[in-house]
Amino acid sequence: MARIAYSLLILLLFASCREGEEINASFYDCEFNFTDSSLTNPSRAAYQSVLDNMTHRGVVGVTMSVYHPQTGLWLGASGKADLHNHVTMQPCNISRVGSTVKMFTATTVLLLAEEGKFGLDDKISDYLSGDIIDKIENADKATIRQLLQHSSGIYNYIQNPKFQTASLNDLIREWKPNDLLKYAYHQKSYFKPGEDVRYSNTGYIMLGKLIEHIEGKPFYDVFEDKIFGPLNLTKTQFAAADPVPDGIVRGYIDLYSNLQVIESTYFSGWDYYTADGGLISNPADMSVFFQALMNGQIINSASLNQMLTWKTPNEKDPDFFPIAYGLGIFKIETPQGTAYMHSGDAIGYYANMLYFPDNGVTIVYAVNSNYGDIDQFVSTREAMEGIISVKGIISVIRD
Amino acid sequence: MNRLLLILLFTSPLLLRAQSGQIPVNISMFNEATAIPFTRLITTPIHPGIQLGTEFDYRHRTHSRFFQTVNVCYFYHNYLTQGIGINSEVGYEYRLTCGAAFTALLGAGYLHTFATAEEFTFSNGHYEQKPDRGNARLYPSFSIDAGYYLKRDNENGPKVFIRYQSWIEYPYSPGFIPVMGHINLHVGVKFFIQRKEKQ
Repeated sequence: MARIAYSLLILLLFASCREGEEINASFYDCEFNFTDSSLTNPSRAAYQSVLDNMTHRGVVGVTMSVYHPQTGLWLGASGKADLHNHVTMQPCNISRVGSTVKMFTATTVLLLAEEGKFGLDDKISDYLSGDIIDKIENADKATIRQLLQHSSGIYNYIQNPKFQTASLNDLIREWKPNDLLKYAYHQKSYFKPGEDVRYSNTGYIMLGKLIEHIEGKPFYDVFEDKIFGPLNLTKTQFAAADPVPDGIVRGYIDLYSNLQVIESTYFSGWDYYTADGGLISNPADMSVFFQALMNGQIINSASLNQMLTWKTPNEKDPDFFPIAYGLGIFKIETPQGTAYMHSGDAIGYYANMLYFPDNGVTIVYAVNSNYGDIDQFVSTREAMEGIISVKGIISVIRD
Repeated sequence: MNRLLLILLFTSPLLLRAQSGQIPVNISMFNEATAIPFTRLITTPIHPGIQLGTEFDYRHRTHSRFFQTVNVCYFYHNYLTQGIGINSEVGYEYRLTCGAAFTALLGAGYLHTFATAEEFTFSNGHYEQKPDRGNARLYPSFSIDAGYYLKRDNENGPKVFIRYQSWIEYPYSPGFIPVMGHINLHVGVKFFIQRKEKQ
């Protein structure tokens, strides 16, 4: 009897394991419709070694673009786009790029401010009302600028342990903005508006609602009208319309910090409908966006100056570069010089984009794995230093 | 050796109880959820589980008893993990004359979890599929339950109960998420089976 019960249990454990989805490799096919310097770039071997080093240490797959004004655009990839189907990552592959969307959100808000639709120092409560204002501490006092700069003091819903466990409990749930904002209701603010800076996704959900209130359509349609379309970002889209679009690489998480990963492609439902995450793109498109933004091709110079007006946190993070907060952008001081940046996490994905204003170098990389032991190879100060310190990536080397 | 001690710890009530004629059996179905204990009661989606156990009285009075349980359980958390566990709890039950009973239980156990999805292991510079050996966990728990003895005059009569079990999974993800909170909402029944006497 015991033997039968034991056998049934073993059978149950194995039968309960979900197999990976069979996907034809052509699903991931993509190409660029422009020429780049990848094959002739004098630093191509060094760049590729950075990516290969990441995947040889435990990152599943990575894509990267390096733009240097003197040597042009290099695009590369390493690792796998899909482990189950053994598909190799290509530089043009798209993935989730998480919170990097905040730079798009901020850009859109600045564009609307340029159009005179509101002032950056208007209170958000002048435009939004109801529970968002009544139940989120500081929401009645915070200005649009403070939301953009993370200086509103508003509690970050992602920090709420109730949200963290709830999202893990229902991994494929698609969360709507108000579902997420509830986790910031009645939570104590970090500080009075303007007193300090502290990252808050809640503020960017509110900014997405502001865009929708002003324009009368989903904020991601405004992104399309004002940014994706004009810049011809053909590989960039927002998750809401198609949460798992054709060609998106599979995401993987190392949930237990042991470099044993499971697929998480369908787990990012709290990232689909809010302006604090949800962007899908590739490093080539993101590089085009970042360069255009910094070159004054999207917002005017006055708005760019506003965006690049910095505020430093009262408390330093000893584990990261010295950092200052702009409007939807950060400034970090690296051994290779000042860089403007924004990174982003989704479940199973991470991306980072950096722009070095002294020489116009733009680096964007995206990976399809994160959490646990993988984070140390992609998102820490050491990981970033490993990329930006590669010979030739900031300065130019010649063959 | 440690495993042997653990098994003895968990099964000692069973061995002692087996000396008497009646063996109590607790069987319950439950819904598992990752949650901060005592912040949620009913959760969705349903992550089903089953628990089977027995118990042994240390002290038995007219309206109360102090006892120890030993249980095995299995749960399936969709998209994330499935686990098989063994635990033991010390419990205190207060029984009203109407048959209603209220219980608090403090427990500790060992849980072995397995991925419910295909898992890839990093080895020799690349990922490959390997048999999932699972992850070892400790799971301290605290439970409260409300029950009803169907035969109020018979202390060995069947009892139905609803149990709210909160438990911590440790370690969870070292350096990332140290511990994970869970709740299980059980619906179960206790009944007694007669031990066969040797002729």
